Amino acid sequence: MKALKPIFTLFLAVSLTFALNHKWGNIPPLAKFLDPFQGFWKNAESSNTSLELNLNLAGLQSEVNVQFDNQRIPHIFASNNHDLYFVQGFVTARDRLWQMDFQTRFASGRLSEVIGPKALDIDRFQRRMGMTFGAENMMKTMMADPEIADMMNAYAEGINAYIQSLKPEDYPIEFKILDYEPENWTPLNSALLLKMMSATLASGSDEFYMSNILKKYGTEVMKDLFPDYPYREEPIIPVGTAWNFKPIPRPNAPADANVGTNASIRTKQKEEGIGSNNWAVSGKKTVSGYPILANDPHLDLTLPAIWYQIQLINQEQNVYGVSIPGAPGVIIGFNQKVAWGVTNVGSDVLDWYQIQFKDQSHQYYWYNNQWQATKQRIETIQVRGAQAITDTVYYTHHGPVVYLQDQKPGNFAKAKNIPEGYALRWIAHEGSNDVRTFYLLNKANNYDDYRKALSYYSAPAQNFLFATVDNDIAITPNGYFPLKWKGQGKFLLDGANPANEWQGRIPADQNPTVKNPERGFVSSANQFSADPTYPYYLHWEFSGYERGKRINDRLSKMNQITVDSMRNLQNDNYSIFAENVLSAFVNRVNTAKLNNQERNAFNVVSKWNKFYDAKEIGASIFEIWQKLLAKQIWEDEFGDANIPMRYPSRDRTVQLILAEPQSKWFDNVKTPQKEGLNDVLLSSYKLSIDSLTKKYGPMSEKWQWGHVKHSNVPHLAKIAGFGSKTLFNGGSKTSVNALSESNGPSWKMIVALGKEPKAYGVFPGGQSGNPGSFYYDDMLDTWAEGRLNELLYLRSKDQSSERIISTWKFTKK
Amino acid sequence: MLFILILFVSLIAQFFLPWGVITPIAFALAAWNGQSEKKSFWNGFSAIFILWVCMALFRSLPNENLLANRVAQMLMLPESDFNWLILVLITGLLGGLVAGTAALAGAAFKKGFFGRRR
Repeated sequence: MKALKPIFTLFLAVSLTFALNHKWGNIPPLAKFLDPFQGFWKNAESSNTSLELNLNLAGLQSEVNVQFDNQRIPHIFASNNHDLYFVQGFVTARDRLWQMDFQTRFASGRLSEVIGPKALDIDRFQRRMGMTFGAENMMKTMMADPEIADMMNAYAEGINAYIQSLKPEDYPIEFKILDYEPENWTPLNSALLLKMMSATLASGSDEFYMSNILKKYGTEVMKDLFPDYPYREEPIIPVGTAWNFKPIPRPNAPADANVGTNASIRTKQKEEGIGSNNWAVSGKKTVSGYPILANDPHLDLTLPAIWYQIQLINQEQNVYGVSIPGAPGVIIGFNQKVAWGVTNVGSDVLDWYQIQFKDQSHQYYWYNNQWQATKQRIETIQVRGAQAITDTVYYTHHGPVVYLQDQKPGNFAKAKNIPEGYALRWIAHEGSNDVRTFYLLNKANNYDDYRKALSYYSAPAQNFLFATVDNDIAITPNGYFPLKWKGQGKFLLDGANPANEWQGRIPADQNPTVKNPERGFVSSANQFSADPTYPYYLHWEFSGYERGKRINDRLSKMNQITVDSMRNLQNDNYSIFAENVLSAFVNRVNTAKLNNQERNAFNVVSKWNKFYDAKEIGASIFEIWQKLLAKQIWEDEFGDANIPMRYPSRDRTVQLILAEPQSKWFDNVKTPQKEGLNDVLLSSYKLSIDSLTKKYGPMSEKWQWGHVKHSNVPHLAKIAGFGSKTLFNGGSKTSVNALSESNGPSWKMIVALGKEPKAYGVFPGGQSGNPGSFYYDDMLDTWAEGRLNELLYLRSKDQSSERIISTWKFTKK
Repeated sequence: MLFILILFVSLIAQFFLPWGVITPIAFALAAWNGQSEKKSFWNGFSAIFILWVCMALFRSLPNENLLANRVAQMLMLPESDFNWLILVLITGLLGGLVAGTAALAGAAFKKGFFGRRR
């Protein structure tokens, strides 16, 4: 009996130790995490980080010097490419290791390995979409190009040299919260991140909805409500630009290409998520006489920041810009001679093919009048705290069958637009050498270098904007554009018919392009690449024209342009959409039917200046009003609970309001009486005031657009406390400053070329990925206030600058 | 005496070893040099409480408590200006509890198996 107490208390002490060292559900291993020696307190960075450091590393070929400026942006001086990309990998990992690890795991469907069964749906989805399959194909192409293979390998070696220098106490805080360890980097990880750009920017697909609409309403309604070219447009290549090439033969549409659907799920309205802009003005229009280039690519914003600023210098190049944490080189930037930027091209590079299997074994499918064998890819998903799971994906020559009949998870938003039993043909599955494009742009000197660089690019297709110190400006919607018949892929396709396949590609040098147009500027804002005179089919629908028109309106009127006038244009909150419809809205409302509260608000919205500024109450009213209006017009016809469809575009809705006010579509078919445009405008107006009042009380400062919009930058894994505060900011999807709740300009850059380039830039976040660092979000306020930082462009490592706060010297071991 | 021993041995050991090392340290030192079970518990508790609180402050103050405030939000502590301090105290309490329990077990072992040797 005497022995019982010691044994019991010892057991208690030991169990307590183990229990507090273990991760329970979402709760991190508490004592391990709170241990001030090796737990999260170790990640609290001192405010004083200036530091001279000597690092002795195996794998380097000679000495490398890195200078960090006052925003902790590295400026790397190396004597060869290998060392340059090696050290780029090293310093990027120093600042962003967890982000790189997590995004790679996300891309390849390996989240369950670290966060357990709740990530299974997303892991399966990523694998069934063929993300790793695409990255493996990309690897084959890149590794066959010796220069690019060296670049990718050197970058991976640098990351690994950093990882190997870490003790567990040095791991980024998220590893400690989620309780796992970083693993070695491979070039395949870089390929996965590059392919993720396609998943983010070029995986939109409406054909499931479109086929359902076609089936329900027929060809006439389809042509009327979903036309192949918009009512209003200002294409990227200015109308009237000559096509200086002889087009290759284009395929014809087969007689019955499209197939029916077997819809059984509900989807939500597709959100217009992208709002990137870029433009360049010729020296004729600037004070300096040299071109100025501006770019702001928009993405779903997250912390750690999406981009990583860097300057890379060796004998071959001196380039500054933003890189993707996890991929070598600079993606958007400038050097002494040139500057370039990108926005997304919404071309159709993803199609669905209906597959008829021979039997339930899924080993054969019908194609070109015979049975063809499928290939199986067995996906093994390791699951933390549970058994590993295997998942078989059947690949046809089109691509993977993402979900077989009845295989789709019921309540999984990402999969909602995916039809069951269809194979996915997607540009992201192709081998590609996109890295070479950036490698060449980084060292480009002139227009010819630009054209050569672009020829290697595949996906996601981008509007490559370019300017040189020799006063050339150009823009090219560029990428691998499949050669298609007109409208191919607007609907689901029959996968048995060879005529439905991509017929090769549009020759790269016949992608739409324009150099030094008469008007003295080039621009893009995700709208149509070219007008219908362009001989090839790219897509039937692109983002709305409003931002593009505003940019073109302003640039046409501007002369004596400076960096400041470009900055103001990036911050422009004016909405061409509001300009087009606000007066029609206001004039059609019967004010006699409004109560006091509604009338007061009506006065505000009537007098609104059409700028989505943070303090505007009119902007809040209009925004909610137009959204509810679209819903009232279309939900009765296109909101079927059993058949997923989508609404006609904003462009078509505007046309209906302005040019066809008697249209039958305004009537709510679910009510006995007949509604007209004026009726739906009135009821949607009343509803919007009602919803604002319910949420924010009677009209007051709380109705200001900045409060209603609620912009913020969340953490990548949505960890509470690691995101930004709520920002009071203007902007809208139809303004040049297309900042919505948390989708917005992920990088803003303006480059004034000249004898010495002068550049400005900012992103919402900071260089460090550590929430315990002062450099985690030190640029956020500057970004939110619409200001830019002058970028420090060093010419030599001996150049002194008071902005340099620390220097690292790397020597080979 | 036990208090100082646990504090110093743990301080040195924790620079090289994972936090769990405080359990065998507190246990062994109490089994060797502990007095009553109650006293041993409080010696172990206060040694690690003070060690962890001081170390947490040493890390957090130069950081202006930036990270502590973020982690407090993550752990859903109620909002206040002293969140970081509450987190420092929780850190100390947790470490102290483990060390105290281990020291208590050590003292119980001494009493149960090695007899009273005052």
